[in-house]
Amino acid sequence: MSGCEHAVEYVYQYIDDEMTLTRRSRVTMHLKRCSKCTDAFEFERKLRAKIESCGKSQPPPELFDHLRALIQQERNTGDADC
Amino acid sequence: MEYAPQLYSAALRMTRNPADAEDVVQETFLKAYRGYGSYQEGTNLKAWLYRILTNTYINKYRKAQRRPNEVELGELQDLYLYRRLGEQSGATESAETTALEMFVDEDIIEAIESLPENFRLPVLYADVDGFSYKEIAEILDVPIGTVMSRLHRGRKALQRKLWNLAVEHGLVEPTP
Repeated sequence: MSGCEHAVEYVYQYIDDEMTLTRRSRVTMHLKRCSKCTDAFEFERKLRAKIESCGKSQPPPELFDHLRALIQQERNTGDADC
Repeated sequence: MEYAPQLYSAALRMTRNPADAEDVVQETFLKAYRGYGSYQEGTNLKAWLYRILTNTYINKYRKAQRRPNEVELGELQDLYLYRRLGEQSGATESAETTALEMFVDEDIIEAIESLPENFRLPVLYADVDGFSYKEIAEILDVPIGTVMSRLHRGRKALQRKLWNLAVEHGLVEPTP
């Protein structure tokens, strides 16, 4: 397997930081020498960051009131049972 | 309440509907409140809540949808989107990364939500919520190898969807 194939195979484990140090350093060594793979890894990292920021949505402000009311109601029911 | 915004956001990506998302979050909090005794102090509270959220969503919606639990995605090339963008005529060095800017938030959300559930949840939990593979395995109650395989395949499928959206919007030249 070429260095590029090896690096690409581990691209996600690399950007997710889910590799043993030994395996990780083998990929890092390759990236130091290969601008194409460095470019591809940078692309995957940027896309992951974009997914992270776009995938987050703010809840409607009333959600918190609803949750508080729900728990309060549950508490009261619990007390009544005692 | 600390994790309510994150749980709501995850629920919205799962249900694709604000009213349903709120229902799932409310039920999750109620179950968490009732089952707090089963939570072990000092362990991962966020992962525990996500596990309740996931089970609530699956119980509520998987039955309703009557969809098969497992969907396959077919063969997908590594670095799918990066390679497609690199094939564009006149693409210069690092042009692929710049090209990512053409995708607006709605495209990314559409691509996430287009994923079949068994791939969408690992992608959400890793990329949006920042859970480790081990934590996702615990939340979904599947082996870590399954998490990795679904996450990697899910990401490639998401990239294929983004590419298809770019083609539909006329932002790129379709490649054979």
